[in-house]
Amino acid sequence: MKRIAIVTTIYKYLSHAQHMADRFLVGYPHEGRWHKPDMQIVSLYVDQKPAGDQSQSRATEFGFKVYPTIAETLRCGTDKLAVDAVIIIGEHGDYPKNELGQVLYPRHEFFRQCVEVFDKDGRAVPVYNDKHLSYSFEKAKWMLDQGKRLKFPVLAGSSLPVTWRLPDIEIPLGSQIDEALMVGVGGSDLMDYHALEAMQCMIERRKGGETGVKSVQLLEGEAAWNAPYSKELLIAALSRSDTPKGFTEKDGRTQNLVASGELRKLVPQPAAYLIEHNDGLKTTLLMLNGAVQDYTFAAKVRGKGTMSTQFLLTPVPNVTYSACLVSKIEEMISTGRAPYPAARTLIVSGMLESCLQSKAKGNQTLATPHLGVRYNAPTQSQHARR
Amino acid sequence: MPLSRRELLSAAALPWAPNRPKIAAIITEYRKHSHGQHIVDRFLEGYGWDGEHHHPAMDLVSLYVDQRPNGDLTPDRAGRFPGMKVYSTIAEALTGGTSKLAVDGVMLVGEHGRYDRNEKGQTKYPRYEFFKEIVKVFNASNRVVPIFNDKHLSWNWDWAKEMYDTSRRMKFPLMAGSSLPVTWRTPSLEFPTGARVEEAMCVCYGGVDSYDFHGLETIQGMVERRKGGESGVEWVQAYRGDEFWAAYKEKVWPTELVEAALCRSHTLVPAREGFNNIFPTVDDMKRIVKNPVAYRYKHSDGLMSTMILMSGLIRDFNFSARLTGQRDLFSTQMYLPMPDGRTTLANFFSPLVYNAELMYLTGKETYPLERTLLTTGLTAAGVESLHLGQKRFSTPHLNFRYQAAKESTFWRS
Repeated sequence: MKRIAIVTTIYKYLSHAQHMADRFLVGYPHEGRWHKPDMQIVSLYVDQKPAGDQSQSRATEFGFKVYPTIAETLRCGTDKLAVDAVIIIGEHGDYPKNELGQVLYPRHEFFRQCVEVFDKDGRAVPVYNDKHLSYSFEKAKWMLDQGKRLKFPVLAGSSLPVTWRLPDIEIPLGSQIDEALMVGVGGSDLMDYHALEAMQCMIERRKGGETGVKSVQLLEGEAAWNAPYSKELLIAALSRSDTPKGFTEKDGRTQNLVASGELRKLVPQPAAYLIEHNDGLKTTLLMLNGAVQDYTFAAKVRGKGTMSTQFLLTPVPNVTYSACLVSKIEEMISTGRAPYPAARTLIVSGMLESCLQSKAKGNQTLATPHLGVRYNAPTQSQHARR
Repeated sequence: MPLSRRELLSAAALPWAPNRPKIAAIITEYRKHSHGQHIVDRFLEGYGWDGEHHHPAMDLVSLYVDQRPNGDLTPDRAGRFPGMKVYSTIAEALTGGTSKLAVDGVMLVGEHGRYDRNEKGQTKYPRYEFFKEIVKVFNASNRVVPIFNDKHLSWNWDWAKEMYDTSRRMKFPLMAGSSLPVTWRTPSLEFPTGARVEEAMCVCYGGVDSYDFHGLETIQGMVERRKGGESGVEWVQAYRGDEFWAAYKEKVWPTELVEAALCRSHTLVPAREGFNNIFPTVDDMKRIVKNPVAYRYKHSDGLMSTMILMSGLIRDFNFSARLTGQRDLFSTQMYLPMPDGRTTLANFFSPLVYNAELMYLTGKETYPLERTLLTTGLTAAGVESLHLGQKRFSTPHLNFRYQAAKESTFWRS
């Protein structure tokens, strides 16, 4: 039975660590069954223990140990690496923000300490890193470079690419995509990241694969409304929303928020993240707080017309979308192969950082020669559809 | 080659198209989140469909609203959509105040509003009464048009059967039913046409004479596709409370089907504090579900179906089935974007309205009325079985056959 170490910031109710690690302990819904992974958590590191900390009670109930350092966690108190996989969950907890507004979650630091153990002990094991690799592209790139150097698989990212889609669409591999647009909500740099990764998992399927990002620009306010994205794609994305606000909340009515002009009234602080890729593809993330509460996507695909969908974020507390993600982590641990490339998360980590730098620099367009990340999409669909 | 649905709709939407159908809506009330609001608004305001904000290629020109409670939205909608006139009788709504039928389709929404309950707990929504008024105008005008009836035909089986017979005798299209058969599914699976099925189940939530109907439609929209089609139902047995748990323990219905259905839920109430998604034991279920209800029924071809209400444990509709010769159980969730805090729009009404539109445009029912005739009878039979002290209730009147639509009609685009 594969042995797993969990390295996390905090372990309390509804933290990412709780709802992901718990699935290895009590199982999770998967393809119509309650699936119990044939692997066990043997050790846990928690960086902070806030009120409501569950680390010790879980360890006691499920028979694993909480260790004071990451190295000890990976070695389970011995002098050699004693686990078959590491799951790093650096989300939630009390960490400072930098001048770009990014929460400085210590994912890179956690990962570095794991790599130190791999180096010293002469063995490396698969690592899953929850959400973006790091707030810093440079650090994120170093993380993936270590995976290449020591030949261990790395999986990372959000659950949006793997959750249910309404409708259940996939852009055919090798399609010509003329434009793509994503609508997201929530704070930065927490939720804009999810939205960018959701869009990335769709557009990486285009002809030639991902070619890297040439430049980015983050526009706000009136400039965001006037940004050069297709209004038709915005209508298409919003047509997939189940959560329009304003008159819908008032009296239940359906709305075309774009045509009625209500969209502008509902969103006091719109933000447009404009991404130009090296192959010429232009994509836009619109963060529309106040208008909707869900994540929707639309793209112009040659030969298919406009394709659009909603990435379904199922309700709290079950957040069954995280079960979709855990099944991918489990797949990597049992096969030793990441089901989809962490390069996706790397490029998204980088484009988000650069967008926030654009914002800090008065919304300038920033050339991003460092984001020349090339990769190909997985041939198989990876989202929940069975 | 016949036009596709999409081509047909866009042709009908062309401004020079000769006939933009006129629709009358006959509803019990028009309040926020009443079925009348969800449905009529989609004709007036349009709705998200197929990646665009779709406006039906027809005009809702007249409205009858039976009750005007606080929060009545009729004046607001009439003010903003002057093309829709509000009439004080059903006959006037259908004739536009003339002596002849003046619309090309009728939408009948008899759900919500203050109506009496009978001793069996059935709310006496006036769908049959509305229907009779509509048919009276058809008769007087010597013309019939399609009717869409939201939810079951009537709480009263004899009246439901009369509605069905009337539509067949007078040869007008009549569609009815729930959104459950036409909404999204997670996963987006269709029941395999012609499959042999031994057991089918829906595990859902809600009350008797209410969401039980939706659970029954969930099952029926799937199993009607089995080999031979629907064969009819011989009897229904309801269970509730202690008898439900006794039956559960005795495996009167296959518990593995309950488990498979629960594994499709997105809303499983955690059985233990501090866990966000944990599978309940039967003892957990007993603690969490205060008033469980099951309708178990036997189809004439031997299929056994079970509709289970587990309010408190889940807030979604999950289907499972055992197909002959398949190692794995078949299961999916009929996903309802539900404006109970989860969403703001009840967008499962969109595929329902879309199917009604298709009928108004083509004069063809997109799925069989017999489905809803059967589930109407099953709902009443479940209520009857409970009323009789949870006795098996024979249903010779439900022993009729029908075939499913060839095309899938659930929401996939």
